[in-house]
Amino acid sequence: MAARGTIELVGITKRFAETVAVENINLAIPGGTYCCLLGPSGCGKTTILRMIAGHETPTTGEVRIDGENVVGLPPSGRGTAMMFQNYALFPHLSCLDNVGFNLKMRGAGKEERRAKARDMLAKVQMDHLADRMPAQLSGGQQQRIALARALITNPRVLLLDEPLSALDEFLRLHMRGELRRMQKELGITFIHVTHTQPEAIALADMVVVMDQGHIEQAASARDVYVVPYSAYVARFMGGQNVLSGRVTGGEGARLAIELGNGRRAEFAPPDTPPATGATAYLSIRRDRIRLRKTSGDGGQAPVNMVTGSVRAIEYQGSWVKVTVEGASPEDFVVNLPDTEYFADPVTFGDAVVARWDAVDAHYLAGGAGRSDRPYALGQN
Amino acid sequence: MSSSPAARIAPYLQVAPLALVLLVFFGLPLLLVVAVSFFTYDEFEIYPGFVLDNYIDLLTSRVTLQLYWNTIFYALTVWAITLVIGFTVSYFLVFHVRTFLWQLALFLLCTVPFWTSNVIRMISWIPFLGLNGIFNQSLIALGVTDKPLEFLLYSDFAVVLAYVHLFTLFMIVPIFNSMARIDRSLIEAAVDGGAKSWQVIWEVVIPLSKTGIALGSIFVIALVMGDFFVVQVMSGGQSASVVLAMSNEIAQLLYPPASASAVLLIVIVTLMVAGIMRLVDVRRELAG
Amino acid sequence: MRRQSSDRRPWTFYALAAFFTLFVLFLYGPMSAIYILSFQGPSGGLTFPMRGMSLHWFAALFGQQRTGDFLGSFLRSISLAAIVLTLTVVMSVMAGLAFRRRFVGSTVVFYMAIASLIMPGLLISLGVGFLFHFLGWRTNWYSSALGAQLTWTLPFGLLIMFAVFSRFNRSYEEAARDLSATPWQTFQHVILPILAPGMIGVALFGFTLSYDEFPRTRLVMGSRNTLPIEIFEMTTNVTSPALYTLGTVTTIVSFIAIGLALGSIALIQRRRTRRALGR
Repeated sequence: MAARGTIELVGITKRFAETVAVENINLAIPGGTYCCLLGPSGCGKTTILRMIAGHETPTTGEVRIDGENVVGLPPSGRGTAMMFQNYALFPHLSCLDNVGFNLKMRGAGKEERRAKARDMLAKVQMDHLADRMPAQLSGGQQQRIALARALITNPRVLLLDEPLSALDEFLRLHMRGELRRMQKELGITFIHVTHTQPEAIALADMVVVMDQGHIEQAASARDVYVVPYSAYVARFMGGQNVLSGRVTGGEGARLAIELGNGRRAEFAPPDTPPATGATAYLSIRRDRIRLRKTSGDGGQAPVNMVTGSVRAIEYQGSWVKVTVEGASPEDFVVNLPDTEYFADPVTFGDAVVARWDAVDAHYLAGGAGRSDRPYALGQN
Repeated sequence: MSSSPAARIAPYLQVAPLALVLLVFFGLPLLLVVAVSFFTYDEFEIYPGFVLDNYIDLLTSRVTLQLYWNTIFYALTVWAITLVIGFTVSYFLVFHVRTFLWQLALFLLCTVPFWTSNVIRMISWIPFLGLNGIFNQSLIALGVTDKPLEFLLYSDFAVVLAYVHLFTLFMIVPIFNSMARIDRSLIEAAVDGGAKSWQVIWEVVIPLSKTGIALGSIFVIALVMGDFFVVQVMSGGQSASVVLAMSNEIAQLLYPPASASAVLLIVIVTLMVAGIMRLVDVRRELAG
Repeated sequence: MRRQSSDRRPWTFYALAAFFTLFVLFLYGPMSAIYILSFQGPSGGLTFPMRGMSLHWFAALFGQQRTGDFLGSFLRSISLAAIVLTLTVVMSVMAGLAFRRRFVGSTVVFYMAIASLIMPGLLISLGVGFLFHFLGWRTNWYSSALGAQLTWTLPFGLLIMFAVFSRFNRSYEEAARDLSATPWQTFQHVILPILAPGMIGVALFGFTLSYDEFPRTRLVMGSRNTLPIEIFEMTTNVTSPALYTLGTVTTIVSFIAIGLALGSIALIQRRRTRRALGR
């Protein structure tokens, strides 16, 4: 069976009055994928979702589902179904009637649609609440009803607009698993909009990181986390430190960037190496860094290292997050395994040195990215 | 949301009936009143024309001044009293009544009289306040006075009392609405910052309910300025208001002068309302 | 004013509650005097003390004797109110829908409605009278009076619809579209049911405002009166408690209308929950 729900966005631009919400978006989502659109508020991810759904029309460009351009078709004629952020359950209908709504609109008989709705509710384990009104349900329960209501339309693409944002932490983690399981069972494409990075990489086969109306990177969750394309993506995903400097030579075949004070950070040259003297960006994984107090450093070579003083320490259970100030223009964070931290704990204000291996430095081909930082201060 | 041609003309078709009715039965009549105010007349007919005589007579007459002075006096007195009562009642309902159900029930209790006849409610004061009325009889029985109080009925007191009785509701509803929307955490923040109760009312509650207060004021003032039957009945014919005088002119078929009075009243009321709306932006509250 | 997390209420609560009670007594007290007085015997007068206790004056009312054409004007009032109620609901709901978007002239219509609300009723009556006079039409309770009353009820209806729609979440309509509903189906199955309580409110306003209305219709009623006008004319030459009896009867009608409206709203809420729980 060919994968259902292949989506292609071709040259999509959306303009509202004076603002451009998204510009020249090109994206191919294979059928049966769990795809997360990830980015801060205002990046355009919800706009894209709504254009796929048909609740917004692109200013230019095509939206193709399974090869067919659906721009101009009504939302219900595309094989898509949407789960709204506030669930939008009809307050005057019971859950059963909410779920059966689509069937009623298409003219199904009362008995038939009630039976089908009950089946659907059983699939989301909500059949015991079928006769309640939405107002009588908790947030998590309402969400399942909304899910059932969307799925009963037998869509090839399910669109979820920040489905987990309204839930508390515990429920959020639980529902995450549910959504993933459901997607695998149904085999259809899920497109899930979120601004939470851990959620995106936990769920998605494909993560699309967006910024100010453009796609920064669309790749597998692992790729986005381990080999981010630009400094923006590296910073947004949160697992990396970003360093920048002018390109110079390193040891052997390696290149390096100058960090100031005679220090360098080396990296393996990419296929298209940057020119010497140009500014380049590197990302270093936060969990691949060794931290020592300066006194115990032994005066090693000033390569692949930074120094500074400890500004913050956060205990996170199996690892400890140490923020080092003065190491670079922005926060330099080291994620230490808890055993390593507690073997020789650093405290606030300690002078420290952080070292890593050149092989753990990743060259950011996209450079700074469209905007240097996510959530830029002073914007919006 | 797509905007097909059908979707674009829909609003015009939907608002058309209401707009048409208002245009025909409000806009047009108003223009006609303005037009007639410039007509001449004799005992039998009114004649189209453009004369300023009606206005000249109106504006140079001492009676006009007296009438407006009287009516504005009523309006401001009633406004002040209904404001205090309306604010206090709303404050009680919003901040001291705890459950929503009780709030709703008590609120409905206040509004139900609004849905019964104004005339009946007004005349119900007569047996109450009369020389042999309940109030006087109770006072005598309690020994507070030995003669019935005369000023209770057929006086300015009775007129103002009746107005307050009829129109306080128009203060309560908008103020209640505004107050109910005040975010409670603002109150808590004020208390946290050291404000005493009256300071909280003055610094937080009143400024945040000023839209409701403005709306209520507009209603009450307009209603009092435009009334003729309360004044007539409750003052026993001794007092007059602008519209009552107009009503008399109409009864005598003096349409052009009556129209001129009408136009003057409209101008003055509009100025008063515009003045209030200058102080407070009311449109946002109404049109959401 | 502290957060009422404890059960003890501050003294201000009792003071305000007392004030509120006084206010309610102030509102209802005088009317009760009328209700009581309407039950007097044939020798009853206009004030206390009560003379006798009977239904004499109620009978006199329905007997159409010296009390004027009560039955006729009563029926006319009810009919007119019914028509006004229907027209107000339909036009206000439609206009409320229109105002959800920007359209050319929306501000004009809005201010016209507000102005119509504030305008002294007698002026509107005068103007409508002129309109019909210049057109050569006779004034009538079902034409000129109807129109004049609509200038009073439509603004109220519109304001209520504004309040209702401002709480109305657009995502319901999008969800309905998503689930294959045509615009008409969306209106029928989603918008209308959610609006229902608000519409009942508009209906109540339409009925009672019309039923009790009299300044606007005073000059354009035509040859046959509605009840409020009859009542007003009676106040100028009142000689018997029949006026009070009329007041009692008309208030009962108002209370019936209010009861029906609130009852329908409660019924709708209960039917929705009961229908859900009953299975």
